Amino acid sequence: MSFSWGRFDTRTIVLIPIAIAINIVLGQTVAAALKIPIYLDSIGTILVGVLAGPIPGLVTGLLANLIWTYVLPAPLQSSYAAPFAVVAAEIGFLSGVFAQLGWFRSRPNSSGQQLVIAAVVALVIVGGLAIYTVSRFYTGAFTFFSPEGDQSVAFQLLGWLIAVGIVGVIVGFLALLFLRRDAGVAYVVVAGVIMGVISALISAPIAAVVFGGVTGSGTDLLVAAFQQGGSDLQTAVLQQGLLSDPIDKVVTSFVVFLLLRSVSRRVIARFPQGEAAVGMERP
Amino acid sequence: MSRLVPATPTAFHRLNPLTKVTLATTGSVGAVIVGGYLGPLTILGVMIALAAQAGVLRALLRASLFLTLPLAISVVLVSVFTRAGTTVLFQVGPFDATMEGVDFAGQTLVRLLAISMSIGLFVMTTEPRAFVFDLERRGVPPRAAFVAVATIEAVPTLIERAGVIGESQRARGLDTEGSLRARLRGLIPIVAPLILGSLTDVEERSLALESRAFSRPGRRHLLWTMPDSSPERVLRWALVLVLVLAGIARITGRI
Repeated sequence: MSFSWGRFDTRTIVLIPIAIAINIVLGQTVAAALKIPIYLDSIGTILVGVLAGPIPGLVTGLLANLIWTYVLPAPLQSSYAAPFAVVAAEIGFLSGVFAQLGWFRSRPNSSGQQLVIAAVVALVIVGGLAIYTVSRFYTGAFTFFSPEGDQSVAFQLLGWLIAVGIVGVIVGFLALLFLRRDAGVAYVVVAGVIMGVISALISAPIAAVVFGGVTGSGTDLLVAAFQQGGSDLQTAVLQQGLLSDPIDKVVTSFVVFLLLRSVSRRVIARFPQGEAAVGMERP
Repeated sequence: MSRLVPATPTAFHRLNPLTKVTLATTGSVGAVIVGGYLGPLTILGVMIALAAQAGVLRALLRASLFLTLPLAISVVLVSVFTRAGTTVLFQVGPFDATMEGVDFAGQTLVRLLAISMSIGLFVMTTEPRAFVFDLERRGVPPRAAFVAVATIEAVPTLIERAGVIGESQRARGLDTEGSLRARLRGLIPIVAPLILGSLTDVEERSLALESRAFSRPGRRHLLWTMPDSSPERVLRWALVLVLVLAGIARITGRI
């Protein structure tokens, strides 16, 4: 199958405003109401990337944040969305590429052997990325457990909470993989982690320069913790992003993956990249 | 077409949307580029004066304070208490409040206020549809314009739909109040039908559009134009020039 950049047919053009509305409504309500350190404001963008291709995904991300700032009327409008348009564009583009590679396909009834291989490969890729980022961005500053760091109880507790969170995510991933017997879960996790790491790298400088490193949500606690741990602001924001962005993107990608499974294939196949995304043309 | 022509109570409202958006972008990007206190405060002053002229000052102040408040609380907590610095003002537990942190929080706050006031002034004095159609007349692809206008309609529709789904799920015994866990679990039966329903709607809407020559190639001829004048054109280019010069000055380290 040859690579395609995606197409803007009428269905895609109609889908984009709905996708942007999904981003805005879920991004504002969920993240603000639950006060959890993830954003969930890219479900629509990923949906367009998956169903229509990389370029429509990119355009959706870009337009979503610009419209959010410049076009929407007052109660929904946010002046602080436009600076992150580049990040949203990157998410849409990458999700389009990954979907074309078949990473959003459901692979039901995988055999035990396939599941184990998928789990090992996904954990090796994610682990490799994690080891790389930790050695690259957390050296010297990642003082949660080191004797030179801040030894106060609050930070010991936060460090443990983060550790428990990461272990929880890994256990949850394995449980999902084996309970659902669907090797597709492993692909989605890898796609989400890659998108998350790249988003964190792009958005950290923007957040630090424009916003002083805060977003007004639960993630700010992590920035404060890393800064107290001895990082400068830029590094602290990056360290926060590298923790929360991959988790956020994995959750978001997984939501899209589940949605694709529940929509009837007739509906999906009408979108330009729908067939490739859910794997209708088996070789 | 009458609903496209915005009410024009003041001279500022009557400016071409492109002029107002250039002003908003110069103000917000400029506040980031210049930094410090003086630049953002000057921009804030200009925006307050313009807002007073346009008669939206109170509403604008309320909206930008409301938007900036959660960020402001975070900025103060994060930078005052955890930013490294030598001049310690006072201590709370393990956290030192430093002079450097207070300074940084102050700079961030004036910058954020300058950004939200600049863009807020534009949004409050401009009819979004007029802005989008003006852009289309200037050569923005009609499909991008469609996306922008359709989003304005889609957001309230989606919220309304979420409300309807929420109510009907509650009628079937869904628990949407109470503990965080209950609310999280209650989210799925609302969000899933919401998105699935919207996806199936796409087909119907695109057929409706196709039957109205949506994918016909070529330019649309708009019956409606937004007034534009040469002083405004000069003003726009001047603003862009100021922004570019500020950027160059910043990069070369002059400010």
